[in-house]
Amino acid sequence: MRQRTWLLLLVAVVIVGSILIIATKPTILGLDLQGGSQLTLQAKPSEKVKQVTPEVMKGVAAVVEQRVNGLGVSEALVQLKGSDQVLVQLPGVKDPAQAERLLGDTAQLEFRKEVPGGKFEKTDLGGTDLTNAFPQALQGGQGWEVGIEFTGPGGDKFARITRELAGTGRRLGIFLDNKPISTPTVGVEFVDRGITGGKAVITGRFSAQEASELGIKLKAGALPVPVEVIENRTVSATLGADSVRQSLYTGIAGTILVLLFMIAFYRLPGLVADVALVIYGLTTFAIFKLVPVTLTLPGIAGFILSVGMAVDANVLIFERTKEELRSGKQLFTSVEAGFQRAFSSILDAHVTSLITCAVLFFLGTGLVKGFALTLAIGLLVNLFTAITVSRTFLLTMLNFSNLRKPALFGVTGVPAKAVR
Amino acid sequence: MELKISKTKNLYFALSAALIVAGLIAMVISWITLGAPLRLGLDFTGGTLVQLRFSPKAPAIEAVRPVVEKQLGITNIQQIGDQNIAIRTRSLSTDERTKLQEQLRASLGKFEIERIETVGPTIGQELLTNGLLALGLSLVGILAYLAFRFQFDYAICASIALFHDVLVLLGIFSILGLLFGVEVDTLFVVALLTVVGFSVQDTVVVYDRIRENLKFQSRKKTFPDIVDDSVNQTLVRSINTTVTAQLVLLPLAIFGGETIRLFALALIVGFLSGTYSSIFNASALLIWWRERKTTAPVTAKAQK
Repeated sequence: MRQRTWLLLLVAVVIVGSILIIATKPTILGLDLQGGSQLTLQAKPSEKVKQVTPEVMKGVAAVVEQRVNGLGVSEALVQLKGSDQVLVQLPGVKDPAQAERLLGDTAQLEFRKEVPGGKFEKTDLGGTDLTNAFPQALQGGQGWEVGIEFTGPGGDKFARITRELAGTGRRLGIFLDNKPISTPTVGVEFVDRGITGGKAVITGRFSAQEASELGIKLKAGALPVPVEVIENRTVSATLGADSVRQSLYTGIAGTILVLLFMIAFYRLPGLVADVALVIYGLTTFAIFKLVPVTLTLPGIAGFILSVGMAVDANVLIFERTKEELRSGKQLFTSVEAGFQRAFSSILDAHVTSLITCAVLFFLGTGLVKGFALTLAIGLLVNLFTAITVSRTFLLTMLNFSNLRKPALFGVTGVPAKAVR
Repeated sequence: MELKISKTKNLYFALSAALIVAGLIAMVISWITLGAPLRLGLDFTGGTLVQLRFSPKAPAIEAVRPVVEKQLGITNIQQIGDQNIAIRTRSLSTDERTKLQEQLRASLGKFEIERIETVGPTIGQELLTNGLLALGLSLVGILAYLAFRFQFDYAICASIALFHDVLVLLGIFSILGLLFGVEVDTLFVVALLTVVGFSVQDTVVVYDRIRENLKFQSRKKTFPDIVDDSVNQTLVRSINTTVTAQLVLLPLAIFGGETIRLFALALIVGFLSGTYSSIFNASALLIWWRERKTTAPVTAKAQK
């Protein structure tokens, strides 16, 4: 009796706590629900870097992160995946093609000098000598250029190269990933000292977008190895919102059907199971927010499914209770026996499902992980609500004499011996 | 209602066998015509899907087709709802896709991009391998647990019932793939694994009861009778649990979005098969197994 009071108190605390968490904490929606792009980049060995080591991958991730920051997407996520992949999540990104172009290029910047005969020869000046790069409007207002700033030694190299070229008519070649983006000549006035000051501009008839993308790429530096976009999953915000609405409606519809079914079939215990189910829903959702679990479409499906499975424990218990009642046992004993005897089945059932969840979680990728996580949390919460909560409620109700009727348990034709 | 599983078990075996054989035939046909036992979706084969939303109304597919096929050759184009057009192709690079979008915009007017899915061929292979690995691992895990909690023959019979459900689900989706072009994706693997968990769960409940009854009644009754009793005692529970699961799955299958709908359908099929197999097959198998082992009248030993 004393213990039951404590349990009721605990349940009350759990309910209030869950409601508070649900009311105050934000729900984190996956990209498929809020809209956005998820890209997987695959690193490939190059002639220079023959093997993609973990260090190389760290370098790739760092550069990708820089570029993503340049995109100005809030709450973007860059993480390593497997031994040679990078996963990039860009919530709310409008133009996935831009992101793909931006992230997929190696962006190896090289300054080359033209030699007699029109060929370009490599120099020691490259992308690593830059400290900054930014788009700026051309002075005439027609088009854009990209301003760059060199490091100290980079500025010296630039001065030396431009001095060599000044006045010769041979061009300076600015190459990005082996493609010339700009090939200016250096005026004769620089023949003495070259272009000093550590600054330069790349003019190449860029559009505003091209200039801004180039700026981001140059500033972030080159990727140590080339990468390829091997996966792109983009969902628009409208489609995401549609999915949220749909899953909300179907979830509510399904839950109401289950609630009605339980009352129709199990009467008083059914009502108790329904209350336990509502508490289950609140607690699970609160835990989702607390962890936090990123809700995806399969994740919601896992949650909805767990509602259906959550009542299974109660069904097991109440069927057992009914059986005990039919065999002529007293109400109180029957209820206790129902809970006790069903426990081993409930435990086995939960463990087998949890094994599946664990496998899915550790092997699966994004969406699958979400499903496994929500289902597993649901199963664990259910062990508490379907057993402890509904047992406490049911036994509390049996304190009221006019509730102590087998008919209320869906059992008829049994002499009412429901006295304690 | 009293079910006599022990008397009519051959009928249930035959029913299951018929369903599974039909599925296997579909898988063979599918293997010959499509190169895989099920119609594999973009997740596994690799490819690109672009879904465009026009407002107020999508143009006719006939208007879209020439624009797409000029660039890409014969392509699968579908209308989804009133506003959406989905184009499925081989895996496109960003530039190819951008070019396609530009050409479509030039000839069809404005549209929004609802969804892009590009999966490279290597990643598709990876997803498939991972899915099969997950299936294998969870089977092993569950079997180990059952062998630990019950006896070895229980574990064997439960896993046969499990394979039954997996085969039924695969078979039905293979048939659906042949008849209606239904494709399987990563979510289908998830559904398969969920069904595995549920199927065992369902079987375990019946076995739990058999074990309990053996402890208390083994002197009075034969093994087949005890199994029959146990099945009947858990029958209402089995049915009710299926009903509640279906109650939440049906709205998903009917009103859910395109991706979730097939997922829900897979679960519905799998759960129904799971309940059927745990009522009719799993327990019948156990009787058959024990009858085979002991030619003498079955003496069920009390077991822990």
